[in-house]
Amino acid sequence: MRTYELMFVVDPRVSDEEVVTMTQDYRQMITAGNTAEITTEENWGRRKLAYPINKVNEGKYVLFFIQSPDGKNNLHEVEHRMRQNDKILRFLTVRTDEDLKRAARRNAAPSAGGSSAVTEDRDDDDIEPGEEI
Amino acid sequence: MARPRKVFFRRRKVCKFCADHIDYIDYKDVKLLQQFIPERSKILPRRISGTCARHQRFLQQAIKRARHLALIPFTTD
Repeated sequence: MRTYELMFVVDPRVSDEEVVTMTQDYRQMITAGNTAEITTEENWGRRKLAYPINKVNEGKYVLFFIQSPDGKNNLHEVEHRMRQNDKILRFLTVRTDEDLKRAARRNAAPSAGGSSAVTEDRDDDDIEPGEEI
Repeated sequence: MARPRKVFFRRRKVCKFCADHIDYIDYKDVKLLQQFIPERSKILPRRISGTCARHQRFLQQAIKRARHLALIPFTTD
């Protein structure tokens, strides 16, 4: 099972209705072929950009949480289409399952392995004490 | 043998993420990331923030992702 997050920023001159149809289009593309499904969709709406992109100062943010059981999916295709769409200022796909799993494991470990007062050293593999400067 | 050097105490810095048990640093969490980008919007070095190597690495990744999406700035002029 792989999970992804796909966020994209739409030109603010595009109307809200059109953003909705765009997201629906992409939703359809992603879910087509039953290789992946969208678990959650978030619409952040209009948001100020931290820096202007294409002389535009704002953007409409949309976020997909995607789940793909066997790792096969057409996200490449989706990205390709987004690249060609000049209404999309930015997009980013991130694979999250590995990082989340690792985080969950680390969070589970200290509580399971006796979190009593005495042993405070957590098994942080690659950390120097780093207190001296 | 005490050396006649001025002794001054420095507070022991702790990695924020270790302390708070944050193991997945989300690029969407602008509030969190902002604590690590001072005025010039550069990434705060861990020599100053005290973040451990591991978490600094995740933090760096998250900040760069957030920058790409214009959630946080590259620079401020």
